[in-house]
Amino acid sequence: MKFVNLIAAEAKMLYWSLRRYMFNTVAMVAVMFLIFMGMFWGVKTIGGSGVTEDSLDSMLVGYVLWVSAMLALQNTGTEITSESERGTLEQLYLSPMGAEKIFFVKAVINMAFNFVFITAMLYLSMAATGRWMNINLLYLYAMVLLSTLSLVGISFMMGGIGLIHKRIGSVNGILSFGLIGLMLLPTYPMTPYAFLPFVAGAAAVRNSIVRGHVYPMWWYLFIAGNSLLYLLLGLLVFGKMEKKARRLNKMGQY
Amino acid sequence: MSQICIRVKDLLKTYKDLIAVNRISFDVRAGEILGILGPNGSGKTTTLKSILGLIEFDEGTIEVNGVSVTRQRKEILKNVGAVLEGARNIYWHLSPRENLTYFAGIRGIPEKAIRERATYLLESMELSDVADKEIRQFSSGMKQKCALACAFIFNPSILLLDEPTLGLDVEIRRTIRDWLLKVVKEEGKTILITSHNMDFVESICERILIIRRGEIISHETVKSLKEKFSRKHFRIDLENEPQGRLLDEISALGNVSASGRSIRIELETANHLIPLMRILDEAETHMLDFRTVENDLEDIFLEMIREEAE
Repeated sequence: MKFVNLIAAEAKMLYWSLRRYMFNTVAMVAVMFLIFMGMFWGVKTIGGSGVTEDSLDSMLVGYVLWVSAMLALQNTGTEITSESERGTLEQLYLSPMGAEKIFFVKAVINMAFNFVFITAMLYLSMAATGRWMNINLLYLYAMVLLSTLSLVGISFMMGGIGLIHKRIGSVNGILSFGLIGLMLLPTYPMTPYAFLPFVAGAAAVRNSIVRGHVYPMWWYLFIAGNSLLYLLLGLLVFGKMEKKARRLNKMGQY
Repeated sequence: MSQICIRVKDLLKTYKDLIAVNRISFDVRAGEILGILGPNGSGKTTTLKSILGLIEFDEGTIEVNGVSVTRQRKEILKNVGAVLEGARNIYWHLSPRENLTYFAGIRGIPEKAIRERATYLLESMELSDVADKEIRQFSSGMKQKCALACAFIFNPSILLLDEPTLGLDVEIRRTIRDWLLKVVKEEGKTILITSHNMDFVESICERILIIRRGEIISHETVKSLKEKFSRKHFRIDLENEPQGRLLDEISALGNVSASGRSIRIELETANHLIPLMRILDEAETHMLDFRTVENDLEDIFLEMIREEAE
């Protein structure tokens, strides 16, 4: 029951923050949408007749994937930096629930919000481009969740580093753009790239939705295993860095 | 004798070559307010954060209600609230009520369970009228009161406060002091407080620890400290600012500090007043005022710090 109350508290916190910063929330949706439209019309104009419907669909799904991956990746690291900046980080560490649990719930709540956000983006983009795809939203959500969990792990690693070094915004920025390259790497049936975080899941989503590929069950299990491994690794690194931060008295200092 | 609530034994914390806290030991009894005084960098905050498990210490033991902080930190946190960075401990983009709800929620307490307590805390902190307003617009004092309310929302039996009156005006300091005294008296809370504000500590604490360079240099009641340092101090206001030879002659009678036309002199006995009067008379200096001054905590603190440094 306590865990449910923690989830409710984090959900309320997200709602209050979005409501308080309504302009920023609307601006975020508008900017992401405008970036996509710029890319879409850019590809269409430069590519001309050489651009197939498949590549436009692939771009649409790829963009949605990139946005959700970026949000998942930046989550915990950004949260820790801003909590530390504000001076509230130590208060989270005073909860008997444990800060790692609080940050995990924050990540899950943010991910749920991201689902709403990417759905809005997807339909907004389809409406604006006139390219209506038949998308199984449940499959999309499940796959995005499955593959971005690995990035939540990376985000925890970044959060741990953030506890010690505080400002990690530039590293987060580099990682976010690096994701675009990762998403284009070949993974199936089994390449070394498949062992990187997020790569195999992203490719599976894109190929299933755009090209109708059907993957065997073991491949989905592999993706789940990959995500779980990175998530656990992230939590492990976070724990180690937290211990170091306690030793160096870095928890509350910004 | 009340039971021991917090027991710190041989606490040692070092950072590379620096000893932040050097094997200090002390107890805090249930239902008391213990003050920790010390200059900047003396180890006050390190001690507080070690009790909360926010700092990993090198050696020693800390127990809260008999539970070890190194072994069962989360268990301890069920009964301990803290304000460590003053008004920065709360979310300024939220309202006081939202902050209270959130800080209860991250402890696993549902909103409906704290509704009554939130109303009580908002009322006692005089924040009811602004309970739903964004904290960003508040004064420092209101923010500080809100941070205190958040630390109290889950009704902890122990509260650790790091510099709770820093930068606050007299009125807010008084409100906070009265409120803390009330919760100790009526609810039996235990409070450990660090502060630079001697008046505040003197008015609220029965016992104080004075720390310097990570070591305890005094650990007694405010009353016994004052008795120990109860030398006769006199304050004399003169018509003209005392200078040169006159000041040298007065200084020969005891410790003197001069500020403008006022001098403050510490004499071992009141008998030394006779030569003092003679000196002033010979210098044909008119006295405007003369009074006996009792040593306050600030004098004692400064004297102890000075003595230790020597």
